[in-house]
Amino acid sequence: MVTKTEESELKNLEIQVDNGGGGAWEYLSLVRKLKVRRSDKVLKHGLSILNDSKLRSKLGADEWTLYEQVAVAAMDCQCLDVAQDCTKALRKRFSESKRVGRLEAMLLEAKGSWEKAEKAYSSLLEDNPLDQIIHKRRVAMAKAQGNISGAIEWLNKYLEIFMADHDAWRELAEIYSSLQMYKQAAFCYEEVILAQPTVPLYHLAYADVLYTLGGLENVQTAKKYYASTIDLTGGKNTRALFGICLCTSAIAQLTKGKNKEDKEGSQLQSLAAKALERDYKQRAPDKLPQLTTALKSLTLSS
Amino acid sequence: MGLGFTIGFIGVLILFHAAYSTIQYRTLLKITEEEFSGSPLIVVIELTLGLLLCTWAALNVPGKFLCILPDSDENRIVSLPGNLDFMIFNHRGKIFPVEMNERLRH
Repeated sequence: MVTKTEESELKNLEIQVDNGGGGAWEYLSLVRKLKVRRSDKVLKHGLSILNDSKLRSKLGADEWTLYEQVAVAAMDCQCLDVAQDCTKALRKRFSESKRVGRLEAMLLEAKGSWEKAEKAYSSLLEDNPLDQIIHKRRVAMAKAQGNISGAIEWLNKYLEIFMADHDAWRELAEIYSSLQMYKQAAFCYEEVILAQPTVPLYHLAYADVLYTLGGLENVQTAKKYYASTIDLTGGKNTRALFGICLCTSAIAQLTKGKNKEDKEGSQLQSLAAKALERDYKQRAPDKLPQLTTALKSLTLSS
Repeated sequence: MGLGFTIGFIGVLILFHAAYSTIQYRTLLKITEEEFSGSPLIVVIELTLGLLLCTWAALNVPGKFLCILPDSDENRIVSLPGNLDFMIFNHRGKIFPVEMNERLRH
């Protein structure tokens, strides 16, 4: 999870390093810690450190981690010769390493030789059948080749063994959402929320999927999860506020003929509407009339 | 930080001195066989002063207090970490090659 302080720190370091003022190693370590994908910057600055023998010797044992990081960044930027050189250097140093073997298979993947990469991964798995990262690379390879159903199959098999891997559940949820299989996506988001209940973005995604599914129960649950997102973000998430308004009007439409129980439903909607108007007045006052007309049409149509 | 430590140290010394004075006062009262109703006023003043100094030091020595609310401006989650284990390399960025004329030199 990247918090605001970490993001501003990352941005400052990036500006500092880009303008030539030192701190490249701290930037690279922060990128590694936060797991963000900044491959072009990592490649540029990592390569400048590696090519300078003084800086390289200052790193000590960490230089091999830097080699790995630069190799992956080079693969991402399609500079395959740089990646090849880094991998060769790593292989020279650690000749019997599975981690380097994994990197070499990733290089084959980046080159596009899928069968060779598949063979390499299978042979690595024979020695070590419970290596999580290799399983995940196989899923990624299936996804890269466009074989989404194969990717789903591999990912399901992986999740039968490693049920606690919330990253994999999140990946599966995103794949299902992209295929519009929303019921399965909802199940995967439930697992992710179970693993990390304090991240509001997962609640928001789950509520979105439930609202898309439709049906009275799903929309009611979606409203609850939009409300929990608002709770976790202190009311600052505009999408969740909109979600509450839409859910309330959808519920009112679905229960039109049945018994009218307004209770706290309309109160929640009016509170959300007020919060939205206040937010828009502060941040985008020229869009405020559009907002008020949209909200009025929601309450009128319900 | 040095100032906080010194003031805290002085506060602790004043507290010890107040405790010692109270014990001495009590032994004096035992000799004159009077009841011990409370410390003399000056010892109470000394005690409050010690308390204030120690509290000030305790608040200042540990350094900056961080916010614990998850939705405060520093702690709020801005983005999720990109799922790097599932990263694929044949994305649309292949069309825009990085201007990388450098190679690994050695």
